[in-house]
Amino acid sequence: MVERVLIANRGEIAVRVLRACRSMGLEAVVAPSEADRESRAVLMADESICIGPAESARSYLSTASVISAALVSGCDAIHPGYGFLSEDDGFAEMTRAHDLTFIGPSAEVLERFASKAGTRELLAGHGLPMVPGSDGMLRDDEHALSEAARIGYPLLIKPSAGGGGKGMRMVRTPRELQQALTVCRSEARAAFGDDSLYLEKWLERTRHVEVQVIVDNYGSGVHVGERDCSVQRRHQKIVEEAPSPAIDDTTRVELAEAAVRAAVAAGYQNVGTLEFLVDGEGRYYFIEINARIQVEHPVTEMLSGIDIVAEQIRLASGEPLGYGQDAVRLRGHAIEFRINAEDVKGDFQPQAGVVERYVPPGGAGIRMETHLYSGYDVPPYYDSLLGKLIVWGPDRDSAIARSRVALRELLVEGIETNIPFHRAIVEDQTFLSGDFDTNLLDRKGAAAFLSALPTDDAA
Amino acid sequence: MTDDPTGRRPAPDIDDPSVGLDELTEEILPALIARLRAGRLGELEIRSHGWRVRLRRDGAATATSGAASGTSADGDSPPEIGARGVARSPAVGYFSPASGLVIGHTVQAADPLGRVDVLGIVQDVSAPTGGIVSEVLAEAGQAVEYGQALAVIDPLVPEFDAGSDEAAEDGSPAAAA
Repeated sequence: MVERVLIANRGEIAVRVLRACRSMGLEAVVAPSEADRESRAVLMADESICIGPAESARSYLSTASVISAALVSGCDAIHPGYGFLSEDDGFAEMTRAHDLTFIGPSAEVLERFASKAGTRELLAGHGLPMVPGSDGMLRDDEHALSEAARIGYPLLIKPSAGGGGKGMRMVRTPRELQQALTVCRSEARAAFGDDSLYLEKWLERTRHVEVQVIVDNYGSGVHVGERDCSVQRRHQKIVEEAPSPAIDDTTRVELAEAAVRAAVAAGYQNVGTLEFLVDGEGRYYFIEINARIQVEHPVTEMLSGIDIVAEQIRLASGEPLGYGQDAVRLRGHAIEFRINAEDVKGDFQPQAGVVERYVPPGGAGIRMETHLYSGYDVPPYYDSLLGKLIVWGPDRDSAIARSRVALRELLVEGIETNIPFHRAIVEDQTFLSGDFDTNLLDRKGAAAFLSALPTDDAA
Repeated sequence: MTDDPTGRRPAPDIDDPSVGLDELTEEILPALIARLRAGRLGELEIRSHGWRVRLRRDGAATATSGAASGTSADGDSPPEIGARGVARSPAVGYFSPASGLVIGHTVQAADPLGRVDVLGIVQDVSAPTGGIVSEVLAEAGQAVEYGQALAVIDPLVPEFDAGSDEAAEDGSPAAAA
């Protein structure tokens, strides 16, 4: 087992990993950028080591700085969190070359699953159904147009690298396709340093359902059920829940088993998530794998009681899984609300500044994962996630009832947040019905949600 | 030497205290101040001609007249020294000082003060300002983080004449009398 872990990330996930390390009796060193010296993880940690300036490219994304920090602070492992270097096979390789344990899949596994197109091909070979799409990457506009004609419109243009909606566009006509290709290429190049794109058939009214898998280095794996992440705004997840209200129990089991079977067969290792689109008829299509811990992992932890971050560390240390699918029991319903520093009335513009007051909610089934504290100065350099409120209940209705209470209690003052928006979502009839797709928020519009709120809440 | 309970009157060994005073203000004090600025010492004390002079760091030079009494009238809160430069680590790694990084040495702005080794790639540490190296805060082979203070550079003789005159006058027997 590793003994001393460098936490090469920031925000709420740095706090989450720090807690996992401590609960396992491991030492942890937090590696902040200069802008995060006063962050919660640093204040909580026994030790921290600053790796660079605020600019991510010279701190959280600097392979040499992160590994150097691990070495000079006497660590034997690096936890990359999510984003930043978490799925970078070159970083994983360099970590290993310095006799450090990378907490995640090995460099070979990351490389095998690095390309989305390559992963789709690989997992299709292991029985996962795919969304009809282009044959490999688009070589040029002409290739794009001919592939589009073959698949049929509407289509989604997607970048091979990265995620989070950057470089992605839905197009309905050849003309739209041609116009969007240029924009998507430059967005993808700017965001991921790679402008390769591919096409996928746009499926109307789909839901985003993903399966959590845990696989050891010896070919044993389990799934920990699915999460439904259909509440999105411009392809960004905002609310996640489990189990998915959209699929029946037969499909649920079939999907999860197909996912873990394919992942194990394809040689996947450590903790990972297989993302699917599910259409109105309950048909599922594989879209991509996330070879890292995900923001929404606590939803699954609430149902299973499994500490997924601890599992990452344990398996990366070379321990066998040690339990089978029968040991994984999922109970109740959990919902996660992503609390973002955003001005919901100002087109969700990211906010920065001092949090004058933070008061977390409490009660049965309530969990906050956050780096907030009263007086914390949210730096403007990074993403707007301030934390997550996760609410568990024995069933969906009780989880929603508890969510309403918790969202009322949760106070973040001093900067604008999307908490009012969440308060509106848990009152929305479509959300409550459970029958909605990933286009719910964008079709209805944020203003419509907010106007439905009692006036003092919408403020 | 006799005790003076007030601590204000000097008890010089020689007849004319002003003789010692001239030497003190014109030769001894400036030399002491320069030495204090260049060195690592926080405080200096010297006895001469029945005077005891104590100088404290941070740009406040206090001459005191309580020769025999042992009391020393340290100045009020010392004024900030101007344009003090701190050389910081450009990266996280192991530090190795340059040969010129010695307390008391004069450096020019951008002079190399050392290097930080980041996985075998060396990054230079350079002097942020010209002046005298007054503090060295990291040793050879020490692990340093990004932004860590490695050395302090004090400016070269920033008009200390005014300061020392003032200090001498304040502490002179004439002023005290």
